[in-house]
Amino acid sequence: MSAHGTPFAGTTRTRPTATLTESITAPGRRPGRRPYDTDVTRLLPRWLLVLVIAVITAFIAAPVLYILFGSVNSDVAVARGEYFPSEFTLANYVAIWDTVALGQGLVNSLLTAGAVAVASATLAVSTAYVLVRFRFLGRLTMLRGLLALQSVPGTLLLLPVFVVFANIASATGVQVIGTRWGLFVTYLTFALPFSTWVMVTYLRGLPKELEEAARIDGASSGRILRSVVLPLSWPGIVVSAIFAFLLGWNDVLFSTIMTTPNTRTVAVVLQVLGTAQEGGAVPIYGQMMAASIVCAVPVVALYLVFQRYLVGGLTAGSVK
Amino acid sequence: MTQVQTRAPRDAQRPPREVRPHGRTPLYRRERPLWMLLPGGVLMLVVIVVPLLVGVYIAMLDLDQYTLRQWFSAPFVGLANFVEAFTDSPLLHSVWISVSLSVLVTAATVPIGVAAAISTQNRFPGRGLVRSVYLVPYVLPAFVVGTFFRTMLQPQGVVNTVFGTDVLWLNGSASYWALAGVMVWTSWPFVYLLSLAGLQAVDGEVHEAAALDGVTWWAKLRYIVFPYLRGPLSLAVIISILHNINNFTLPFVLFGIPLPSSVEVMPVLTYIASFQSFRFGLSAAMAICSLVIVAIPLFVYLRAVKLDTGDDAGPTRKQRRADLATLAAPAAADIEGARA
Amino acid sequence: MSTGRRRTRALVGAAVVAVAALTLQGCAVVDGSGDDPDTLRVMMAADTTYPKERKQWQQETAAEFKRTTGADIQWETYSSPQEELTAIQTSVISGQGPDVYAIGTTFTPTAYATGAFVEMGSDQWRAVGGKDQFDAASLGISGPSASKQIGIPFASRPFVMAVNTELLAQAGITELPTTWDALTADADATTRDGHFGMAVAYADGFDPWKFVWGMAENAGNTIVDGSKAEISADAVENAYRTYFDWVTKDGVVDPAAIGWNNAQALAQFADGKAAFFPMTTTTSLNTLKGSAVDGKYQYALLPTVPPRATERPADGIEAASILSGDNLVVADYGTKQDLSFDFVQQVSSPAAQERYFELFGQLPTNTEAAQTIARENPDLAPIVQAGKLSKPTAFTGAWSDIQLSLVDVVVQSIPSLKSGEVTDDQLRKRLAAAQRDAQATLDRQKNGGL
Repeated sequence: MSAHGTPFAGTTRTRPTATLTESITAPGRRPGRRPYDTDVTRLLPRWLLVLVIAVITAFIAAPVLYILFGSVNSDVAVARGEYFPSEFTLANYVAIWDTVALGQGLVNSLLTAGAVAVASATLAVSTAYVLVRFRFLGRLTMLRGLLALQSVPGTLLLLPVFVVFANIASATGVQVIGTRWGLFVTYLTFALPFSTWVMVTYLRGLPKELEEAARIDGASSGRILRSVVLPLSWPGIVVSAIFAFLLGWNDVLFSTIMTTPNTRTVAVVLQVLGTAQEGGAVPIYGQMMAASIVCAVPVVALYLVFQRYLVGGLTAGSVK
Repeated sequence: MTQVQTRAPRDAQRPPREVRPHGRTPLYRRERPLWMLLPGGVLMLVVIVVPLLVGVYIAMLDLDQYTLRQWFSAPFVGLANFVEAFTDSPLLHSVWISVSLSVLVTAATVPIGVAAAISTQNRFPGRGLVRSVYLVPYVLPAFVVGTFFRTMLQPQGVVNTVFGTDVLWLNGSASYWALAGVMVWTSWPFVYLLSLAGLQAVDGEVHEAAALDGVTWWAKLRYIVFPYLRGPLSLAVIISILHNINNFTLPFVLFGIPLPSSVEVMPVLTYIASFQSFRFGLSAAMAICSLVIVAIPLFVYLRAVKLDTGDDAGPTRKQRRADLATLAAPAAADIEGARA
Repeated sequence: MSTGRRRTRALVGAAVVAVAALTLQGCAVVDGSGDDPDTLRVMMAADTTYPKERKQWQQETAAEFKRTTGADIQWETYSSPQEELTAIQTSVISGQGPDVYAIGTTFTPTAYATGAFVEMGSDQWRAVGGKDQFDAASLGISGPSASKQIGIPFASRPFVMAVNTELLAQAGITELPTTWDALTADADATTRDGHFGMAVAYADGFDPWKFVWGMAENAGNTIVDGSKAEISADAVENAYRTYFDWVTKDGVVDPAAIGWNNAQALAQFADGKAAFFPMTTTTSLNTLKGSAVDGKYQYALLPTVPPRATERPADGIEAASILSGDNLVVADYGTKQDLSFDFVQQVSSPAAQERYFELFGQLPTNTEAAQTIARENPDLAPIVQAGKLSKPTAFTGAWSDIQLSLVDVVVQSIPSLKSGEVTDDQLRKRLAAAQRDAQATLDRQKNGGL
């Protein structure tokens, strides 16, 4: 059994069956093995596991609880600096939908960020596949260039992007600024360098034997990509999709200038809730915090659904 | 390599289960689907490269609110903006602060992220929930995080009350550490996600072998599992440093403008130059200078870690077996003796 | 491979659907109505204090506009001064954006400097219903001079002081202070039993410069004189000294306030823990309604006599507030200027201005409407007076930077404030640095600094 021992290695040679780590620990799998149920893949002893989880959760919880408490407290009380709520009201969760177009913002964000995630992961896989598996002039330059593009600050690009899009609009008559797809294209491009790099690192670890076998069978590169590489790279795809999604979900700089009231994303809407007029009333902290929670829920829910693909489904040792 | 029609001769030619060291794997020269690079390439060209070039051009103009309207015909000043950025503005100071802050924050997030990934690697009831909760700090929008941390870090806010301190967190010299702390809080899930993906690659057989050989959990982590994480962690470190250097919203919301001098980070500085002082040319020059200053160590890092060429494949299976053997030699002897 | 294939298919399917949906939506809806000649794009500040009333006002105004001109209105908002400026910059640089802006008065100089807004000549003033319908004072920041104006006054929000009448009565104070020194003394008299004399926000991004400006104006210093900055001057130094001494020497301000922004200071006042809350507008009414001080407070004029004096010097300016509110500006790059003037005319009419006051509590700039409101609401007398005594900040493209330098002096002093004292030496050094920066910015201005 020769698996290339490399990071992100997937060791499946044959078709990946429904492989989850527990298939390793199925009792009686190997002759002579004692049938106790210790999971040999366990990385930490139980006490340490509980400790680590408890500490990290506490680390996260304190500020998050502040948001939760703030969302049920009154605005003046939050401005006063309270942590535990002195008053309790759920009115904020109701008010946020009317004060700003939060529903529409959520829909816009889900559409845009979702599309960015899917498109970014797809493009990243194909781009990374070419960059990793084939040799051609400029390959290394492209890899390094991708990383360099990743380091360009958003504030530098803000005005120039606007200028470029405005010129495209006046040259071709196709409006870019203020449309959902214009924002989609912008976010997709910003997400691509990193997504591609994640897939590059991931694909490097995949063994080439499967692809070589498929190529011997006469498959084209596209087919190999679709049928061999794609199923093996799910963890990498999920991770790059998550990051691309979060980019589209949380970015404020570009969405404020590139959206109209109809295409506003949830990040812009949240900014509105944080408005404070000079010398005016206290900002509506309660509603801002309630809205933050409401906005975080879809992302966490999506992750809850997709994190099951982040399992070692490739390490069944079923390679023969 | 030509396409061979029959299977059998090829099998006979190829030596069985040859472990080829990475980097000398033959890459196909024919049938290179370079067209797959096209969509991503075109997008990046139009949306990043062209605006970047426009930005470089702007950096060579005297662009302010007076000339903004006809920006293309603003007076050309060549390198004057760059000179001013280097000599007459707080740019170098802010680059130092940004870079040192990012490196510090990234270094702190790596252990937390890796620990979190390891702790949710194995199945247990509620694992999905814990994994999702771990993501929360990263999901919350930066300006919300900034707002509530700003309130918590007030002179008589929650942090000072709970820890019994009387430190001025949002101004003065402690503000650097406050910003570092908040950045660590929001950005460790990034390392966690990448490590989680990397951990999926660990061979099941290795686990079994390690268990059979009686290796302790720490040795197993250190010699078996961590090498798998070298690749994803190298990537995570460099990307995390870049993200933190360019993080604008968090310091902006935490401290407002003008910034206290100990947290004068580069993105806020360029933002102030651009949208407060309306010196767009200078601001673009500052951003480009900092880009160049950051790019140099970046490429040094790339070469050192061999992230670009991919020669850092980590230990091969044979090597890992050898490591395992040396670790477990005494224990293995016992087990062998017991079995015999 | 069946699961894999299914997954792949699902992925590709999802991608196709998502991209298709986006494309179709992009094509179907003409979102960028920047080119739609029958829709006027109006950009105003986001309103979270009166969201329902804002929606109502927008509907009413749009309906009336449609009735008279047949065009629709698309309302756009900015949620912070930074966003406001970004919106202006991106519109100016690309030549496409909203047609009418309601900008804060302090941003009018910047807007003027871009040259992207219509200069109101006699024709333009006629198109909006005449210049003389507006209160003379409110035109103070419409432009660098009476002949070169771009701003049409829209709403007035003068800065005033909120006072806790109950605490004042307890301390035996019967007359409201009219000098800064008297204010300090009154604050001192009301500082006891866990109450503080004044709620001041030292870490706010905007408040500090208004105090300094006010005190300096009262002493005759306008910060910018032509093209010279006057920050390293006695009047300004006195202003900062008074401002800092409130918390370090006089002890009339809560020490925690050195980390506060305006909302937190307002919260202290709303809890009834402070007697005076300077530097607020009537919009804070929304917070004070139903709070602990409800019914026990009133608004009053800010002092107009500089510190360390009992009466205003000969060259002192009776400035009770900065000229604060909104100006409407019409974009020059758009093609809908006539429509824009129609809109401005509509919202400047006495009826519209009175309605605006009814809904949002902001004073009208239309003289007739202002007189009606003053007559019908006698308890608003201090606010109206503050509006009359509002003076504009220097009209220069450098003002944004100068404002920043003024606030920066406070930001740098906060650690010293925490440790209990800002020495004269430190203050003078920082003022000198601010003077240098301000002068450099002024020197850089083109068009003679307007």
